[in-house]
Amino acid sequence: MKRLAMLLAGAALALPLAAGAQDAPGTAKKDSYRFLIVPKVVHPWFDKVNDGAQMAAVALEAQTGAKIEIVYSAPQTADVVQQVQIVESAISTRPDGIAIDLLDPEGNRASLEAAQSQDIPLVLFDSVPPEGMAIPFIGSDFCEQAKIASRRLVEVLGGEGEVAIMMGVPTAPNHSIRAECHREVFAEHPGIKVVAEGIDNDSIEIAQQQAAAIMQANPNLKGWVASDAAGPIGIGQAIIEAGKQDQVTLVGLDNLPEMLEMIRSGVADSSSASQPELQGYWSVMLLWQQATGAPVPQFLDTGNAFLTKENVGE
Amino acid sequence: MSTEASAQTARPSFLSAILRNPLAGVFIALLAIFVISCLISPYFLTSYNMSVIARGLAFVGIMTIAQSALMILGELDLSLGTIGGLSGVISGMLMVQAGVDPWISIVLALVLGLLLGLLNGFLVTALGLHSLVLTIGMAGVYGGAILVLTKGVAITGIPASIHFLGRGDAFGVPVPFIVMVVVLLIALFLTLKTPMGRYMYAIGNNAAAARMLGIRVNRIRLMIFALAGMLSALAGVLMVARLGTAQPSIGQAWVLAPIAAAVIGGVATTGGVGSPLGGIFGAAIIAIIENIIVLFGVSPYWQGVVSGVIVVLAISFDALSRRYIRRDSH
Repeated sequence: MKRLAMLLAGAALALPLAAGAQDAPGTAKKDSYRFLIVPKVVHPWFDKVNDGAQMAAVALEAQTGAKIEIVYSAPQTADVVQQVQIVESAISTRPDGIAIDLLDPEGNRASLEAAQSQDIPLVLFDSVPPEGMAIPFIGSDFCEQAKIASRRLVEVLGGEGEVAIMMGVPTAPNHSIRAECHREVFAEHPGIKVVAEGIDNDSIEIAQQQAAAIMQANPNLKGWVASDAAGPIGIGQAIIEAGKQDQVTLVGLDNLPEMLEMIRSGVADSSSASQPELQGYWSVMLLWQQATGAPVPQFLDTGNAFLTKENVGE
Repeated sequence: MSTEASAQTARPSFLSAILRNPLAGVFIALLAIFVISCLISPYFLTSYNMSVIARGLAFVGIMTIAQSALMILGELDLSLGTIGGLSGVISGMLMVQAGVDPWISIVLALVLGLLLGLLNGFLVTALGLHSLVLTIGMAGVYGGAILVLTKGVAITGIPASIHFLGRGDAFGVPVPFIVMVVVLLIALFLTLKTPMGRYMYAIGNNAAAARMLGIRVNRIRLMIFALAGMLSALAGVLMVARLGTAQPSIGQAWVLAPIAAAVIGGVATTGGVGSPLGGIFGAAIIAIIENIIVLFGVSPYWQGVVSGVIVVLAISFDALSRRYIRRDSH
């Protein structure tokens, strides 16, 4: 009887503790999670984001025993209407979280609000939230990434010469921030003159066409910087076609295989690279943490790497 | 016994009467895709998902009605998407940058769409140019004008008072979808119940013969080009209201999809055949395919293949059912 009383007393004491543990942030548990990754467009840079996301899923499965499914759903073109349609359709499947790289914060606002109204955790990667919306976001400091590239170009040109900027998708916030930061750096150097700006819409083909035309129109052009990952690859191809490897300096962006090859072959001087694998990895981690009820940081910086012939490897 | 026998003979003739309708094939294909989607995805038949599909369908649907009307006439306008985009962007500029009342801006954008459509129609009729070739050029002009005006940057700050036109619901039905249904009903009335509709089919079948019959071919062409331009502007303005921004990319996806939808729906590119309703069925097939691909988590690299195969299957099903119906009726 005494033992029973002690057991009951122990249980009475343990109950609130257990209840407390259940309610504690980050303690909600599920057997399986399904997270959606919605990039800007079908693109090799986003494949690296997906690789990182899959890596996080494997790690979480190994550590928690829960089944983690990553669904990668990309618009076929960098069109905000298509991206909104994908996000809205994705919401219908009641996922445990959606990670998105926004094509346009305002254009995407309604679909993000729809997800929030249905309590679906959100994370933005490589982009910033619409004004007034509290959504955790992941990425490198876009401005700093651009400034690393433009400062390097100024240094290589000795502070003098005509340069051009490839703007990527002008409505994409990360691209427009980078373009603006390139302009800021060039404006600090009176010897540097920005003679042209191109729009490649994150397409290597368009970047090549734009770069070729700009170099035709500006025969004294000495250097290029870009605001997206596709841009420098297209610019590099245009430089090769024009046979201007020794006359035009390209400081690229990001670390796609073609970009790395251009650094190795000397077509590009260097590249300021964000780390897409890390962005995908931490997107899934932050979605999972939100799904468990854990508090998450509002911004997570995945940093930039500066790649040159010396450190790019074989 | 005799009553039973007559009922048995009446039943197949009723069914074949329905099946003999030229829209039966595409409707059955749509129904089949709908039922299969319900079976393969538990998320498909939810009210939220239906509303997502209906909202997405509305914009391409309006464009499909416009393109179907031109195709019945034997014409094509590849600049309709950019007319929609340009009208949307200009409505946004009027509202945000010029401070014009949003409703007046919308009306002005519709008028602009009408005028741009009229310009296309004028160039086709006055210069005797092929509409396909001319409108490829005009698409470049209108698309270029969008970039000149916006420098590629979206116009933000669209007044919240018009957002309901794109984002809102009435009795659970998305407002753009209701607008599309109204446009469809008007288009069906015009094509099926008015002399103008009959003239459109006559011109599409044989413009020279129609002219000999006293039909004012060029006047009808101008009117349909203008109306198609106005409908494109309507889709553009609704999209601005939906996104809350005037995106320079609006209309880029409205070039081939409406033509594909119309063709799937039985509207012949050679003219004189089809109905806007068939076009809407075709657009609905495309909208469901796009939705189910996301629900099913199809790899983005396979999406083009999967949607292409489903469209080919739908068209084949339509063709086979027509052949079966013809054989049955003989």
